[in-house]
Amino acid sequence: MTDPAGAPPASEPAPGAVISARHLTKTYQLGEHAVHALRDVSFDIQRGEFVAIMGPSGSGKSTLMNLIGALDTPTSGELSINGAAVSSLDKDQLADLRNRTIGFVFQQFNLLARTSALNNVKLPLSYSRDPAKQARGDELAAQKLQDVGLGNRMDHVPSQLSGGQQQRVAIARALVNSPSLILADEPTGALDSETSLEIMNLFRRLTESGMTVVLVTHEPDVAAHARRLLRVRDGRIVEDRPTAEGSLRASVSTPRPPSSRCG
Amino acid sequence: MLRSVLTTLGIIIGVASVIVMSAIGSGASKQIEDQISSLGTNQLTIFPGSANVGGRQGGFGSAPPLTEKDLRAVRDGVTGVMAASGNLNGNANVVIGNANWSTQVQGVGSEIEQVREWSVVKGRFFDAREAASGAKVAVLGDTVANELFGAGDPVGATVRINNAPFQVLGVLAKKGQAGGRDQDDVVMVPISTARSRLVGRLGAPDQIGSLLVKVDPRYNITEVQADIERVLRERRRIGADKDNNFIIRNFAEFLETRNQAAQTLGLLLAATAAISLVVGGIGIMNIMLVSVTERTREIGLRMAIGARGGDILGQFLTEAVLLCLVGGLIGLTLGAGVSFMVAKLLSWPMHISPVIVLVAIAASASVGVVFGFVPARRAARLDPIEALRYE
Ligand SMILES: Nc1ncnc2c1ncn2[C@@H]1O[C@H](COP(=O)(O)OP(=O)(O)OP(=O)(O)O)[C@@H](O)[C@H]1O
Ligand SMILES: [Mg+2]
Repeated sequence: MTDPAGAPPASEPAPGAVISARHLTKTYQLGEHAVHALRDVSFDIQRGEFVAIMGPSGSGKSTLMNLIGALDTPTSGELSINGAAVSSLDKDQLADLRNRTIGFVFQQFNLLARTSALNNVKLPLSYSRDPAKQARGDELAAQKLQDVGLGNRMDHVPSQLSGGQQQRVAIARALVNSPSLILADEPTGALDSETSLEIMNLFRRLTESGMTVVLVTHEPDVAAHARRLLRVRDGRIVEDRPTAEGSLRASVSTPRPPSSRCG
Repeated sequence: MLRSVLTTLGIIIGVASVIVMSAIGSGASKQIEDQISSLGTNQLTIFPGSANVGGRQGGFGSAPPLTEKDLRAVRDGVTGVMAASGNLNGNANVVIGNANWSTQVQGVGSEIEQVREWSVVKGRFFDAREAASGAKVAVLGDTVANELFGAGDPVGATVRINNAPFQVLGVLAKKGQAGGRDQDDVVMVPISTARSRLVGRLGAPDQIGSLLVKVDPRYNITEVQADIERVLRERRRIGADKDNNFIIRNFAEFLETRNQAAQTLGLLLAATAAISLVVGGIGIMNIMLVSVTERTREIGLRMAIGARGGDILGQFLTEAVLLCLVGGLIGLTLGAGVSFMVAKLLSWPMHISPVIVLVAIAASASVGVVFGFVPARRAARLDPIEALRYE
């Protein structure tokens, strides 16, 4: 009963949930033709969860990520991010919500070329409405780069970094403003399997320290690192269950040290 | 980088041409102002004008010449005339030893000092008696003194002017350039001497080429001018229905008119500048639109991590303004350089006023704001999802 994946969502947003989705639909109108990208999707994601979303191409995964990332608003249904109802927010408030609450990680990294790792990581702080954070930009960015193991690469520009390193810079950027939620749409899509493992281990460590991570992936190996799996098909959630990893964790009250894991 | 510089070319050229034109233009009007003060204020020049005989307009100087008698009539018969001098010009070769200098010789009366506000820095000017008696004395302009004597003292020396010996009485204070002419390249001799030795055939034995009058500043110069006109018409027996056969010119007024012409030129210049800045602005708008398109993904990313539409607008406006300011500064430097070169090569006076520099900078910044707005707004209105997906 502590397993959030098992409990069917109530019609009211769950208090304390990082994400609470109720009957979300998203319909794109292409001329006469309506594309139902999402149909009646409901779920909750609690703090510290590590969720993988899988599904065939065109099933609505990215559409869902855009909604829970406050980049887009649903056609109908209710979505709360950290208790704030997204539909009641205007564009600027959505931007501020993204800045404070959400860290994005993209398949193509989306780092600014000709800009040092440090300044790339600092970027979200320049849009912070908190002057104290802006003032501490260098310090916070350097700290996050240390955390992802790139303390010695701060002055490197993206072209001087490997794909995995670039993605770690992007993760540091997503973390720099201490968000509640990391959203990653195919973060390992452009990386080889070894580097993917590195990135997934980084995400796992983040969730162990309380960060919430939701990622989209096509690779079962990658999804296996998460603890909960949402499977989407034709705009609906067709499966919501703990992964093998998740079941294991649920049965063991204290997490095992990482060194004892294999895989 | 190269592309940006090419784009700002419009602004660069616009600003540079404004600077050059205004440097030269305001140099000219500054020169006019200087000229007005160097000519002396409250001064009237009278010379024989075209005679209107039986409806036929004669050429310049075809009217009867002015004479010493006219001068006396004006000086003694018109209230408000402080001083008056005849003036008869010719060119002559001035020689001392091996040094030789070709210059303008002005035959003038002793009152010229007062009329033209000349002063003597060394020695003295000739007095009224010398002026009337045809004494062979001369006062040298600064340039002539330098050319012939260098650092030496000319006072007391004897120079030969057109082969006749003249004693140098003094040296005039430096006056500088006026109308592209060196006012110090001159030798002044008594008008009576000039008449007999230096200028050719004359229309009257006591002829003066022109009559220079200094009006007492306590009198109204227009009224004094009308009085002089009345006296001269009477003396020259001009009927009430006939036009003057002489011209009275208020030189300061004349220069004032030229100054106004310079201002009109300035207006024209402003129009040219506006056009080139608009052309430059369109270039800026173009490159900013290209830049917004090229950086669509970056804009999407910035929006995803929390940039508001206003932040993006501000960013692109700032870039447009900076681009324009850089162009403006390059144009400023270029313009100043070209002005300096023009001033050097054509020995034209140059003056870059701080006002025009500020105006140029403000104008380039405004071009950035105005023409950067459309691209910046386009960037700010992008949809973050589509921008992120843009290839
Ligand atoms: N802006 C849009 N306009 C019209 N249709 C859209 C738009 N965005 C997405 N769709 C449609 O919505 C459906 C879901 O798209 P979405 O991008 O969410 O799929 P996905 O699961 O992320 O696929 P993939 O695995 O290929 O990334 C697709 O049919 C897509 O064509
Ligand atoms: Mg997708």
